[in-house]
Amino acid sequence: MTGGATPAVRATGIHKRYGGVVALNGVDLTVDVGEVFGIIGPNGAGKSTLFDILCGITEPTAGQVSLFGAAIAGVAPHQVARMGVGRSFQRTAVFGEATVRENLLHGRHALARHSVLGRALRTRVWREDRDAFEAAAADVLALTNLQADQHRLASVLAYGVQRRLAVAVALMSNPRILFLDEPAAGMNGRESADFVELIRAVAPGRTVVIVEHDMTVIKALCSRTLVMVDGRPVTVGAPTEVFLHPEVIEAYLGAEDD
Amino acid sequence: MVTAIPFPFARIVTTAVVVAAVVLFGMLVDNAFVITLAGYTFAFSLFALSINVMLGGLGEVPLGQCVFFGIGAYGAAIGMVTLKLPFEVALLLSMAASVVAAALIGMLTLKLTGAYFSIVSWGLSGVAMVAALNLPDLTGGPLGMFGFPPITLLGIPLSEPRAYFFACAGLLAGAVLLMAAVRDSRFGAAIESVRQNPHLARSVGVDVFRERLKAFTLSAPLAALAGALCVPYTQIVTPEVFSVSNTVDALLMVLLGGSRLAVGPIIGALIFSIIPYFFDMDPNVRVLVFSGAIILVMMFAPGGLHQMAQALVRRFSGGAR
Repeated sequence: MTGGATPAVRATGIHKRYGGVVALNGVDLTVDVGEVFGIIGPNGAGKSTLFDILCGITEPTAGQVSLFGAAIAGVAPHQVARMGVGRSFQRTAVFGEATVRENLLHGRHALARHSVLGRALRTRVWREDRDAFEAAAADVLALTNLQADQHRLASVLAYGVQRRLAVAVALMSNPRILFLDEPAAGMNGRESADFVELIRAVAPGRTVVIVEHDMTVIKALCSRTLVMVDGRPVTVGAPTEVFLHPEVIEAYLGAEDD
Repeated sequence: MVTAIPFPFARIVTTAVVVAAVVLFGMLVDNAFVITLAGYTFAFSLFALSINVMLGGLGEVPLGQCVFFGIGAYGAAIGMVTLKLPFEVALLLSMAASVVAAALIGMLTLKLTGAYFSIVSWGLSGVAMVAALNLPDLTGGPLGMFGFPPITLLGIPLSEPRAYFFACAGLLAGAVLLMAAVRDSRFGAAIESVRQNPHLARSVGVDVFRERLKAFTLSAPLAALAGALCVPYTQIVTPEVFSVSNTVDALLMVLLGGSRLAVGPIIGALIFSIIPYFFDMDPNVRVLVFSGAIILVMMFAPGGLHQMAQALVRRFSGGAR
């Protein structure tokens, strides 16, 4: 941690219970501003639950999450988004019936300001929104290599392309922090290598938190990673170090060998 | 996003042709019954547009939308007969009342989605009808309200067929322009994102409940306007305006014309009133024919008849997408 600066994410004592099932049992973590931070663990370790809690989709049973120093307890998910939080989910990732371009427009919601009347009268505010959208869309399309697909429907895109689009949608609000839930799940080797390049390109100037199953992605991208097993943190550190931790080898590699 | 005709030029030409056709129809047709019926069709189209804010916009089937249509009709009638107000004032008051009603109903019901929302909103229309039947001092009870003074709108005599036709056409055109502005605005994009994927919409900063409530309160005054504009044609307002068959008629128009097109509901409304007139259909036969038509449309062109037309144009122009 850099001396006393407010971290991008600070979670303390996170517990989550669903009825009698304990999904998370006391997680603490700190992610510095500008860091690419990984969360890794075998299936059922509570990674996705932790993801939803960190980015404000789910409330923890106990514990506190602050993003850039602001506590998000009781803040609605859409308001968390307006705090500069971009999220890309594993399942409900894109707007399927919309074109790539329209997906990007939806991603712009939090930054647009014009009213219906403003649209009808083409006011200055509307023109500014339009120009800012065009500029942002051009940047994001170039970054995610989606220019050629911009007029295609999201639902007809290949899975790997849809995942890139999901990141593009999240990038449209120019988030300070980007949460990615299993971005490489279901991707082939080529697609996940492309994906690593994409995240490298978008990471400068923001904080990235990646929940991932795939160690190669975490090794390629993250400066530090948290390893979770059975709803509790095992160790935090550089990916190369944490994978040497005896308990990680046992729990994680053991589970993957099943 | 609603599918639009692809080129601005083509859209301008289409709009010009449609406007010219409407103006020529209004000036040249002499049959008073036909022209009044056409005006009424435009008035009822406003109700179909209102339904489509919910159906095409939010993806909800608002079976109780006739509540707002009824508020418009009763509002106009009570305003003119009981309160002796001019039609314009009664119209504006009833539209305002529909907005208040929509805000209240919406806050209670819009947490529900799908069949649950449809059923609750249907139930509310039943409540409205029972209320109208049992409040004779306010609504005239089962006999309804009738015996209106000559109705004028900003000096336009709505009892005169041609004037009624042009007044309804003008208001409908205004409503279509409003809908187009809504569709292309931040608000329109927000409700479209909510319809497609509420989870993701929330995650990009859309307040899902608030946007749904806004869409609902926008749909209500359109329905109220339709209800009030139908009064000069029907000359009576009975509790039947709250009947779900009223809503279903407008829903069928939307489905026939296509919910993804801004003017789809109007196309549906025209088909809905022209065909029975030409074939001189008995109301019972009409129900049979349109039920059959809806089944066929849903099976072969779930996007409505305009989708069929677009597919044909695409086939013959050789363009594949």
